[in-house]
Amino acid sequence: MSLLTSLFPVSIPRISISQENSMSQSRIDLIDNPSPRCPVALVLDTSGSMAGQPIDALNAGIRIFIDEIKRDDLARWSVDLAVYSAGGKAQRIQDFVGAEQISGFAPLAASGTTPLGTAAGMALDDLEARKRTYRSTGVPYYQPWLVLISDGGPTDAWQDAARRASEQSARRKLVSLPIGVAGADLTMLSQFSSKPAVALDGLKFRELFQWLSASMARVSASTSSDTEVQLPGIDSWGSI
Amino acid sequence: MTFIIRNAAGESVQLADMPFARGGEAAVHAVPAFPGVVVKLYHPDVLQKRSAEMRTKIDAMTADPKLAAFKQHPGLAWPRFSVFDERQQWRGYAMRRAEGVRMTVLAHAMAYREHFPSLDRPALVAYLLSLLTTVQELHTANVLVGDYNPANFLCDPGSGTVALIDCDSWQVDAGGKRFRCPVAAPDMLAPELQGKQLGGVDRALESEHFSLAILLFKLLMLGRHPFDVVGGASPVENIRNGHFPYGMGGGGIPKGPWFNIWSHLPFKLKEQLVRTFREGSANPADRTSIAEWIKLLKLYKREMSKKYHDTVIKPANPKPKDYLGSQPISQPIIA
Ligand SMILES: Nc1ncnc2c1ncn2[C@@H]1O[C@H](COP(=O)(O)OP(=O)(O)OP(=O)(O)O)[C@@H](O)[C@H]1O
Repeated sequence: MSLLTSLFPVSIPRISISQENSMSQSRIDLIDNPSPRCPVALVLDTSGSMAGQPIDALNAGIRIFIDEIKRDDLARWSVDLAVYSAGGKAQRIQDFVGAEQISGFAPLAASGTTPLGTAAGMALDDLEARKRTYRSTGVPYYQPWLVLISDGGPTDAWQDAARRASEQSARRKLVSLPIGVAGADLTMLSQFSSKPAVALDGLKFRELFQWLSASMARVSASTSSDTEVQLPGIDSWGSI
Repeated sequence: MTFIIRNAAGESVQLADMPFARGGEAAVHAVPAFPGVVVKLYHPDVLQKRSAEMRTKIDAMTADPKLAAFKQHPGLAWPRFSVFDERQQWRGYAMRRAEGVRMTVLAHAMAYREHFPSLDRPALVAYLLSLLTTVQELHTANVLVGDYNPANFLCDPGSGTVALIDCDSWQVDAGGKRFRCPVAAPDMLAPELQGKQLGGVDRALESEHFSLAILLFKLLMLGRHPFDVVGGASPVENIRNGHFPYGMGGGGIPKGPWFNIWSHLPFKLKEQLVRTFREGSANPADRTSIAEWIKLLKLYKREMSKKYHDTVIKPANPKPKDYLGSQPISQPIIA
């Protein structure tokens, strides 16, 4: 079983033994635990401008997210998490893994440019693959989530990934949630969804991730993988 | 916000400051002076939109003499009386405090272990019998649950019984009026109701039977949905198409312990599940009634006590062919 810690922070070759292991492990997990899944892909801007307080607050937020999900009776068995970073180059930090199987999280460092488009594209590809695995194991799934966090804008070719994300979100096949940290290009980030990007109030990553875990608790407690779930309000972290 | 509430006669009582639970529509508060009672206060935005309509329903539910016994029913959190704030505005209602863990946790391949560590099949069947008996009483009074959300069925490991909450969402005939059930999770809904605007539909007994069969299956199969099928469509699409993978002529049973568990269930029980989910898909009359389920589950319990059936939650192997249960000799085992 691959843990966030064990795969981080060294760069991972695309296809390695440990990746293959983690894939078959997660299939076994889907066979023993057929709870409807909510796949969540975090695509994080870890470029140079995030260095210092922002990246620290982001890391703390992610840790809170994992802790709170694991504390929820049902969400811990339903949330599948994948993490991507865009800092210098786009990286898959962690392919989809059941929240229950995550034992730790090593903090991310910030440097370089912001290949957010490439990272988001990777996440969208992995989401498609994950959905195929769900279907082949007969595991129902909720609308997947793509959470995109940036304090600037993509420095690579991003239009293609943005179009895919916003198309899927318009068809309600994806909850795409672009979030801008101070200095972000909200107009550009908004292209990644059918709904406008939300500006993070200050560095309220803690509140953002608490909201995200509360949303996951609502989703995984809902009876149906086929309905809209009423999410908590975002006033604790979104600024107007 | 005030935490003193009154009944219609103006008697007041203090609520606990913080709600002990919250739902999408309401917050639920304990009442320190009456530990057996809780008060459900609807969220202000909900009241703003639907206060008059909701109050009419709650008042009818509490006043109709045909339904009066439900207020004392140990398996129901039936509304006892309306409550008002200090400005005499209607805010919600008082009810029995129900004990137990959401059935979503019990009907779950993993989560049950924490709250129900010693769970076995006789215990599962006991919860089902408790639930079915209560729903049967509701049906007799023309009350249809409509929204079979397992999160609203609380299972008490202490007593092995089930209590139903969120009664205000059900379809109720009270005070000479019908109050509809406007909501439901599509995964739990009979095919004839899929995609319908439920606020405009009178629910029928046969639709309840379909939902109950899904619930029964999910409980016996550790949360596995009967219409989870390998290879594509969602449970809701499979409900619409009557694609139930278990039993002869099925196909697409997911890998894992599910086939084993299924194979250990009594033949007659499986026969009725297959009937309800296949023939009953398009023909509501072909769905097994509560009375029939109760009979079959009692038989299952008796046969388990005679060791005809395995009592473990996840049998390690499929059932061998030479078993003693209630299967007619001439019938092949359906798998
Ligand atoms: N009678 C009761 N006894 C104990 N707990 C209760 C009772 N009624 C409600 N609760 C608790 O309060 C929570 C919310 O109650 P309920 O489901 O009735 O609210 P709601 O807002 O109508 O729900 P929903 O979110 O399903 O619309 C329940 O999940 C349960 O935990």
